[in-house]
Amino acid sequence: MLTSSLSEEAFFGRQDELSSLYKRALRAEQGASRSVVLAGPRGIGKTEILRHLFGRLFWTQERVFPFLFTFNPALLSVAAFSKAYLSAFLCQRLAFEKREQALLYRDGISIDALSGLIEEREVAWAREILFQFLQCSRDPVEALRIALAAPHRSMLSTKIPVAVLIDDFHLVGRLHMDGVPDHRLSHLFEEPLGHGKTPHMITGNMAELQEMLVTSGLERFPVRPLGLEGTSSLAQYVMKRCETEGNVPPLLLRRLDGNPFYLERVLARAGEKNHPVEQDFWNAYLREITDGALSLYWKKVFKSFFPDLGLRRVALETIHKINHASEDLPVQRIVKSFARSDSQAQDIVHNLYLAGFINGEFGAFRKVEDAVLRDLIDCLYQREILEKAAREVERDILESIIARREQAVRFELVLPMAREAELVAAQSLEQIGKNLNLSQETVGQMQIAVIEACINALEHSGGMGDQVYVSIAVDEDQLEVSVESAGREFIMQETGEPFRDQEAVKASGRGWGIKLIKRFVDQVTFEKTARGTKIVLIKKLERPAGIQKEDIVNRE
Amino acid sequence: MSNFSLSSRSVKDVAVITPRGYINDIGAVRLEQESGQYLDNGLKKLVVDFSDVQFINTIGLSIFLSIVQNTQDHGSQLCFTNMKKDHLEIFEIAGLIGHVKVFKDENAAFTYLNGRTPDGKKTASQTTAV
Repeated sequence: MLTSSLSEEAFFGRQDELSSLYKRALRAEQGASRSVVLAGPRGIGKTEILRHLFGRLFWTQERVFPFLFTFNPALLSVAAFSKAYLSAFLCQRLAFEKREQALLYRDGISIDALSGLIEEREVAWAREILFQFLQCSRDPVEALRIALAAPHRSMLSTKIPVAVLIDDFHLVGRLHMDGVPDHRLSHLFEEPLGHGKTPHMITGNMAELQEMLVTSGLERFPVRPLGLEGTSSLAQYVMKRCETEGNVPPLLLRRLDGNPFYLERVLARAGEKNHPVEQDFWNAYLREITDGALSLYWKKVFKSFFPDLGLRRVALETIHKINHASEDLPVQRIVKSFARSDSQAQDIVHNLYLAGFINGEFGAFRKVEDAVLRDLIDCLYQREILEKAAREVERDILESIIARREQAVRFELVLPMAREAELVAAQSLEQIGKNLNLSQETVGQMQIAVIEACINALEHSGGMGDQVYVSIAVDEDQLEVSVESAGREFIMQETGEPFRDQEAVKASGRGWGIKLIKRFVDQVTFEKTARGTKIVLIKKLERPAGIQKEDIVNRE
Repeated sequence: MSNFSLSSRSVKDVAVITPRGYINDIGAVRLEQESGQYLDNGLKKLVVDFSDVQFINTIGLSIFLSIVQNTQDHGSQLCFTNMKKDHLEIFEIAGLIGHVKVFKDENAAFTYLNGRTPDGKKTASQTTAV
């Protein structure tokens, strides 16, 4: 599928990435563009970014031709892949001439039909490439070379550079000849990846891509979790699509960690209820990780790496053990725990690593940072290995999430509606930060946000209450401050227009408060409560430094 | 005891204003008045030293607009020095940074304004804008 399943209006929080990649593609005109790997975990939106990039390049400019190709796991024989790749390239290239949408969807077009199209349009360079390709029908490696070189050759003939966008590129390692995988085939991509006028932007399963020599020298373009704005916009969009509204619990939002796939699935399920409340969101989450789309997705990944049921069971036990270990586990401990041979244990952990279920390097392994995946594994473990009933599993998972929250250190303040009372909250934060060894930068930024939140609460209580309730909670990976007061909703509109007209901007100055808050914290949510309204501010705490195998280098 | 205080001095034709503590509405109004006095007395160069500023809220920020406007109305130059990164960001959000010169410290601001440090020593006439 070439176009995104998401319309522009539903594609949130990725404009910076899209803009950066678009500019990179256009630099191919000067031959100054380098190939890049879009790096990020599953579900983060890499495929959607590629599709949107294709759409933007195809429809809005003429300087660079975009070619989008997704590896098909069913077409990994060299012969089938080469044909599919070349056919797709030629069809899309012909479509680009006159922006013919119908040509973009000629998947599986026969060589004869393609040849007919080329003859009809009298495209000499395409005719020549196709002719040479057909001449190599008995030499699949040469045919592959010709197919991969097609973008560069078209550029040489037409002078129009090509941005080659490839999804699921990790499957290149599974290209085979007569059923025998041949890793050397991936090296044929080296030359095409190196051309400045045909930059390749590729993505796929990061763990597998990182093990490939052909991608090892490529720049990494990190695709990060959605930020505050993107998450909030996506949440609102999904709720609106479900024709309902509701406040997503901050703890759940944090758990979903800006992953668009997780967010969309959980919120869509919650949105099936009319005006979902907190429990409904949690129920939706639990449903998704036990037997919903999230669960099905990850189970499919699991089965693809562990087709054997017996081995899958051992793998599940292994992940569970690693996830609940207090430190990195070396392979030897895993060998001992499961009475496996060294090589079996190595295979299991290596496949778990490639599948994305665990992290690790240099022979020691640890849990992934993806809390949703860890919950899903816990569910699966409890159902499959411990054979617990579904309800009991869900209850246990939820309790463990809440319990982790309750392990947070908490402080509560009640501020009077007095002048500069917000400073008490700010100074308390400073001391808490010192006591708990938080970074000065984190505390400083939270102080600024809390001051604004308190002022907002103090100003907009509307005389309906004389106190502001501030709660500060710190756990292993976040600092959370909530500010609650009686009264109507906070003013949420933002202005932040640059200074021009003094009077106008003075009037709008108060709108800066929310803008400032959003700038300095990682997550902010607004809730209606029994007391009135509450704003919850969250800053993630820095994780301990460690060796990151995904060496995120540069992005423009 | 107030959470805000203010001091100022003039060094030849440059006024250096040093707010301390919490710049909210009251603090910002005092700053506005102090800077206004210097401007009304004909001084064309103002430096605001942020080294002892702890917090600025958006109410105070909105009053800074008046200070910037007033400076521009007088055809004067306004410089900020010793800003913490977070305070710089706050002013960036308000769109004020484009209307002032920001320097690492007083020496740099003086170099820009006069070609000399506050103690009168000549320096290379380079600005070291943040």
